[in-house]
Amino acid sequence: MQSNMPLSSMEVEAAPSEAKLLPPKPKFEPLKAHEMSDGQVQFRKVSVPQHRYNPLKKAWMDIYTPIYEQMKIDIRMNLKARKVELKTRPDTPDISNLQKCADFVHAFMMGFDIIDAIALLRMDELYVESFEIKDVKTLRGDHLSRAIGRLSGKGGKTKFAIENATKTRIVIADTKIHILGSFANIKIARDSLCSLIMGSPAGKVYSKLRAVTARLAERF
Amino acid sequence: MAGSTGAGEEALRRLMSTNQPSFLAPNPALSETARAASRHLFSALRPFCPKSPLDQLLVDGFDAEQIWQQIDLQSQPLLSSLRRQVKHFAKNPKEISQLKVVPLGKKVEKEQEEWMEESDGFDEELEDDEEGEEKGEEYGMEIEEEDGDQGGESGSEEESEEEDEEEKGEDGEGGGGGIEDKFLKIDELTKYLEKEEENFENAERDMRGKKDADDEEDTEDEDDHDDEEEEESDEDAEFGFGDEDEEAEDMENARYEDFFGAKKGKYSKKKKAQLHQDSESSDDEDDDMEFKKQNKGTASTHQKQLEKIQSKIEQMEKANLEPKTWTMQGEVTAAKRPKNSALEVDLDFEHNVRPAPVITEEVTASIEDMIKKRITEGHFNDVQRAPKLPSKVPREVKELDDNKSKQGLAEIYEQEYVQKEDPTSAPLSFKDEQKQQASVLFKKLGLKLDALAHFSFAPKPVIEDMSVQINVPALAMEEIAPVAVSDAAMLAPEEVFDGKGDIKEETELTKEERKRRRANKKRKFKAAGVKRTGKKMQEGALPNQVNG
Repeated sequence: MQSNMPLSSMEVEAAPSEAKLLPPKPKFEPLKAHEMSDGQVQFRKVSVPQHRYNPLKKAWMDIYTPIYEQMKIDIRMNLKARKVELKTRPDTPDISNLQKCADFVHAFMMGFDIIDAIALLRMDELYVESFEIKDVKTLRGDHLSRAIGRLSGKGGKTKFAIENATKTRIVIADTKIHILGSFANIKIARDSLCSLIMGSPAGKVYSKLRAVTARLAERF
Repeated sequence: MAGSTGAGEEALRRLMSTNQPSFLAPNPALSETARAASRHLFSALRPFCPKSPLDQLLVDGFDAEQIWQQIDLQSQPLLSSLRRQVKHFAKNPKEISQLKVVPLGKKVEKEQEEWMEESDGFDEELEDDEEGEEKGEEYGMEIEEEDGDQGGESGSEEESEEEDEEEKGEDGEGGGGGIEDKFLKIDELTKYLEKEEENFENAERDMRGKKDADDEEDTEDEDDHDDEEEEESDEDAEFGFGDEDEEAEDMENARYEDFFGAKKGKYSKKKKAQLHQDSESSDDEDDDMEFKKQNKGTASTHQKQLEKIQSKIEQMEKANLEPKTWTMQGEVTAAKRPKNSALEVDLDFEHNVRPAPVITEEVTASIEDMIKKRITEGHFNDVQRAPKLPSKVPREVKELDDNKSKQGLAEIYEQEYVQKEDPTSAPLSFKDEQKQQASVLFKKLGLKLDALAHFSFAPKPVIEDMSVQINVPALAMEEIAPVAVSDAAMLAPEEVFDGKGDIKEETELTKEERKRRRANKKRKFKAAGVKRTGKKMQEGALPNQVNG
């Protein structure tokens, strides 16, 4: 609306064009985040599961600082509702920051470390994928326990091997599995985990991983 | 002499009167009597033995053995001569009547004694024993048994005594075969000598009254081994004494035939004559027996040898004409020899196979000891695989690190990004760190090992470049700040190429090849399709969560 006016005024005054000077071209800055949504503030709310309550308390400053300082998003903890609330500020640079922060907090709630979850803030192409063991194969009782054991390996070495090979981070929460990484890497990690759930031994998974990662390395 | 004889006779009578058992116990008086008696007898017999060296039996201070020897010395030739005479009389009984009548008294006694001695027996041991008995020698022997023993030998000894001297002469020569030939025959010689002896003794008896001793007799020693020469000399000497005219006449008309007989024809006759001679003489002396056996037969030993050789030669020639036995022939197959004949022959051929070792307890014990020793030492002959030289570049195997990553995910992606933008600034990966540590350690170790080998070692095996070629734009690798990035990749197209063999274009294919390709494609597609459906089943639930 505002932009149309100078045009029209310009056009009206163009006919006489004798006595009046043209006003300078207005320069409009890009829309800010909260202006874009008509000045309205946007919120995100991330619920905190009980087992992450204490870690959240411990790591609160590590979460707060990058979000507030670098992302320019307001963040607060609603103790009563047990949620982390995020709100845009007027000086929030990008509208996607909010979403990134929400994803970051959400990842932390899933179980990822701060240093791993921070990557979500820094990079665009990282995603988190979650699935359950029962999606892959229906296992009950001991088989389920064994499958979980197979996934982690002795001292978690199988999980770490997959993480290191595919540049992802994996969280195994009982029957839920969360993978954080880039799309292709998630795929590779997921394949390895699924084969482990299905019952293949760790050595076989390792050899496959080796082959895949070698190919990956060569590609770049 | 008379007194001594009287004493001697008295001693004899005393001996004969004593009991037999008293001889067993040593008795000096008895021995004294015996000695006197023996001395008497000895001197009584002395005139009959012209060749005896002793005039008197020496008994004073002499041993029994010594006295015995003296008696023996006298009686041996005496006995032989007596035997000869008896034989002679046995052949010519008429001559007994021609015996010279000796005056009575001593000579009669002597003759009687002679007869007594003769009739007692020709065995000298017998007579000696009787003399011993009469003389009372201190022997504890059983005389009767000795008589029995000696009776068997008497016959042989009787004959041997005749030619005692001549036999001894032959003994010394070492065999008649050695010296005998056509001219000299020892049997004839012995015969001749016998004859001469008889003549000599007859002459002696005649001359007994005249002469006591003969010089030539003394030279003759019975134990002399050079008898033949002495006998010959004796013969020569006696030739001079030869009283018989017949011999002298023969000497004058002596011809070759008289000595050696006819040359050829009478060979066998001579041999036969000798045979008769030989049969009478049998030797109890071992050496002479052998020589006599050699001389038996019609021919001499040399001739017999010749005959033997001749017969052998004939045999061998005959054998040579016949075909040889199969063992002597060269290569013989089984068909050419009789059945199972190789079993009888001791075949000797080279065995190319070492014979199996005989396993004894010692062998097994030694083997077991060796085994135990080897086990304790740990020294085995294991086959070591020869190390293969690395001909290819070892592929860089990316080690999976199963420890928790120290860097956060953000840092990892940061590094990745940096590497992508600026390939040269590649930070050390986990593997490289380990590699560096390992290389540092190995360098230290290598230095020490080289010092051990005095820094002389075989060079490293040549391997191709150990480098991993990443297909990165070349220029980007070389320059630090790439102004322009070139498309020229590090890897050559054939290294990038992922296929196999000769790739043909669509237009180049033949119909069959086209069909084949299509069939392969279909197969792969089908296999991939199956896989895909399987995976879709797995991923069925996942897309929902990604969006949420």
